[in-house]
Amino acid sequence: MHMLALLTDGLGGEGGIGRYNRHLLSALAHSNSIAGITVLPRFAAQADVDGKIDHLAPSSGRLAWCLRALRLALTSRPDIIFCGHIYAAPLAAALAQARSAKLWLQVHGIEAWERPRRPIIDAVERADLVTSVSRYTRRRLLEWSNVDPASVRVLPNTLTGGYAPRPRRPDLVARWGLEGKKTILTVGRLASGERYKGHDRIIAALPAVAARVPSVVYLVVGSGDDMERLRQLSLDVNICDRVIFAGQVPQDELADHFALADVFAMPSAGEGFGIVFLEAAACGLPIIGGDRDGSVDALADGRIGRLVDPLSQEQIVAALIAALNGGQKPFPEAAQRFAFQNFASHVDALLQNFVR
Amino acid sequence: MCGVNGIYAYHYAANPVDRAELFRTRDHMAARGPDASGEYFSQEGRVGLGHRRLSIIDLSENGAQPMASRDGRFVVTFNGEIYNYRELRAALEHKGFVFHSQSDTEILLHLYADKGEAMVHELRGMFAFAIWDAARGVMFLARDPYGIKPLYYSDDGWTFRFGSQVKALLAGGAISRDPDSAGAVGFYLFGSVPEPFTTCRSIRALPAGATLLVDCTGAKAPQRYYSIAEVYRDALSTPRKNTDDLRIALLDSVRSHLVADVPVGAFLSSGIDSGALVGLMRDAGAPNIQTVTIGFEEFRGKLEDETSLAAEVARLYETRHTTRFVSRAEFEADLPRILDAMDQPTIDGVNTWFVSKAARELGLKVAISGLGGDELFGGYPSFRDLPRWAQAFSLPSRIPFLGLGTRKLLAPLTGFFGLSPKAAGMLEYGGSYAGAYLLRRGLYMPWELEAVLDRETIVQGLRRLAPLRLIDAELRSAPSNPFARVATLESTLYMRNQLLRDTDWASMAHSLEVRTPLADRTLLARLSRIKLNENEGKVALASAPSRPLPEAIIDRPKTGFTTPIDGWLRSSPSFRHVPIRAAETPQWARIWSRMVGAEASLNRHALENLATL
Repeated sequence: MHMLALLTDGLGGEGGIGRYNRHLLSALAHSNSIAGITVLPRFAAQADVDGKIDHLAPSSGRLAWCLRALRLALTSRPDIIFCGHIYAAPLAAALAQARSAKLWLQVHGIEAWERPRRPIIDAVERADLVTSVSRYTRRRLLEWSNVDPASVRVLPNTLTGGYAPRPRRPDLVARWGLEGKKTILTVGRLASGERYKGHDRIIAALPAVAARVPSVVYLVVGSGDDMERLRQLSLDVNICDRVIFAGQVPQDELADHFALADVFAMPSAGEGFGIVFLEAAACGLPIIGGDRDGSVDALADGRIGRLVDPLSQEQIVAALIAALNGGQKPFPEAAQRFAFQNFASHVDALLQNFVR
Repeated sequence: MCGVNGIYAYHYAANPVDRAELFRTRDHMAARGPDASGEYFSQEGRVGLGHRRLSIIDLSENGAQPMASRDGRFVVTFNGEIYNYRELRAALEHKGFVFHSQSDTEILLHLYADKGEAMVHELRGMFAFAIWDAARGVMFLARDPYGIKPLYYSDDGWTFRFGSQVKALLAGGAISRDPDSAGAVGFYLFGSVPEPFTTCRSIRALPAGATLLVDCTGAKAPQRYYSIAEVYRDALSTPRKNTDDLRIALLDSVRSHLVADVPVGAFLSSGIDSGALVGLMRDAGAPNIQTVTIGFEEFRGKLEDETSLAAEVARLYETRHTTRFVSRAEFEADLPRILDAMDQPTIDGVNTWFVSKAARELGLKVAISGLGGDELFGGYPSFRDLPRWAQAFSLPSRIPFLGLGTRKLLAPLTGFFGLSPKAAGMLEYGGSYAGAYLLRRGLYMPWELEAVLDRETIVQGLRRLAPLRLIDAELRSAPSNPFARVATLESTLYMRNQLLRDTDWASMAHSLEVRTPLADRTLLARLSRIKLNENEGKVALASAPSRPLPEAIIDRPKTGFTTPIDGWLRSSPSFRHVPIRAAETPQWARIWSRMVGAEASLNRHALENLATL
């Protein structure tokens, strides 16, 4: 079977969606059922990909991208059209119908939680297979669409990249001044459009945590246009000396930053899944996440980390204190359920069951 | 006859089965199976099955469930009865299968091993079961052709759960309680929640006559293996048989439904269906039949009174007969338990509650019911009305905006002229079988729903439910014959979603198994080939026993099974909490629906609005 993959973020992208696409298409390329995949991305660079994958140059202009998709659908005669973002679903559905191809739609997080425009709803309801990164996103999608629940399956993010417990790097300890400190870590974008992640709620909790754990500091890894607001917030609650904004760190230093922390906390209320929880867990950290979104899947209903109500200051404070005092055991092996091998064999099973 | 449940953590990311959750769901159904309970957990912890047993066939430990095959490959949890299990057993033994019990449950294990999913075509009976096939990593579920036994399931994307009751699944604690607008709208349109919808978005009914497969990618779409419409269609293309065959077919069904290792009693009213069945039970050799009739003091000496004619039938067939009177005080005392036992909201079931209670008080575990006779023999007014309406309004309903305009004009006036609110919709809906059916059976019409539901729920619910499409879907394979079309609709909608479901929860709450020989696939296949003129069917049924029913029963005007609940409800303390506009004088079913809907939290907003009027 030949697949035409219409993506927003190409396989070289380092954002969550780009990485997911890379893992998914790699898994598909490994399947014996797939003869070839033509990838048409809108953004992000070329990646080093499997020989079955023809990764075209991106077209960031919407119209140009649509026209190229149309031309590819007409010329490459795909058996499956994979649509990597719900906003492109109407185009993908029209092309699939015109070419009598199967339609596979991927949904991630908040973009699929609220009722979208009518053409998108219609397109979703015409999909042969919808894969969602979490049970939560699936449930939200089923709230507004009449799609057959049997064709909406969960395909979680997968853990790759050699995350494992490791010793603290003294140079990083020194760089961030963490010697003798108990460290809370959050890794994530600081975007004003993604304030749901809960950095502000941890900052607000810090005075109460510091009262019980005097050596506590909060290491914030990530950058974005919300950093100034967070910095101001830490001034407001008078704990700016305990909050360290590390900015974005290189991918190859990420695991070393996990190793610096005593607990990874991200009481988010807007995660589609939250792959960063798994990376932190695999590095041997106790994890704290929210119980109102896809984080519940990443934390495997509490088996990989502790679930708190992200809107409850009280619960966040209690969980942080418990974790910093050694009251929460890490489960690095529990995150291995999300290993690529499991992911890939599930992708193959979905392919056999739904779009063959 | 039991309660079943199970959990399959099919996704690689899912946690192993939570044993405590399995037990919470299973033991919520203690009344369905008071005699024993059992459980099975697969070695790797990905599968759990639960069972509550009401012992009826093979009362020994050999019949305990969940039951595994000797090699451990197949495990079954089963609710129901397989009436042809002796024939199936003989055939399987002939093929070399070795049996270790006398139960009908074991048949399912061997039949699945022999025929796989096609096994369902061999089964005569009422059933809902799940078979775990460890070698294939597949769970197979099936429900009987009529939907006599319930089966609900939920698939959250990681874990599949099933159970005999919606409330039991919720008691497990792992399933979202988010309401389903289609369930709420369906309840107020039809008076019961039409399958596959339930009041919870995360829980669906496995449709009657359907199977379901769950593998490592989750629950597939249900596959229909039986269609009442197709039975009628196929019958019309085969040579017709004569009415002599009717008695043979009826007696065969009754005889099959008597298979049990405990005494089988019968509900007896003053109608033809239950009376004829008791006569046929006697012909089939049932000894010393216990019959039971419900009576109400309020009806003594009135047309609605069933007790004296029922007693006459009991005398005719020499049964041990009990008339059990239900008082208003008993109704009010039982009302909280009725609402608690009611698995899905419904406007019926109270009568079955009391007759089942009475049967259980008499020590019965199994009772025969005449349910299905009106669908089989055309006993409802719909058999007359639907074809007439569909023909008369066929043309006007096709004129654009005529129906809609007429309805908008007339709807505010119907109350003034003392007409049913439905009258306003005759032009708009009456021109098709689906529309006419909604008019005939509907509790509220779509344009009346704002009295009970908020606008958002109505809009979303109507879109999800698509009521006319839902009704029409049942006619997809139906022949053009008017009787066959109405019989199909009544059997697949009213009987399935209302009568059978209500019979299940109301009887199981008293640990009583109700059997319905007139809702039987073999009987339907035979009767659909017999040509009967209008009204001939019921007369033929009345004459089927070797001692026919007396003329008084046949000539009695049809009243249905009525109760004085209307009056009781209007003066009940519970009723005071049901907000009714001062100008409204709703029929009792609508009052009841609001009480039940409030209990199920379907209509919170609308009731709050009404309460302020």
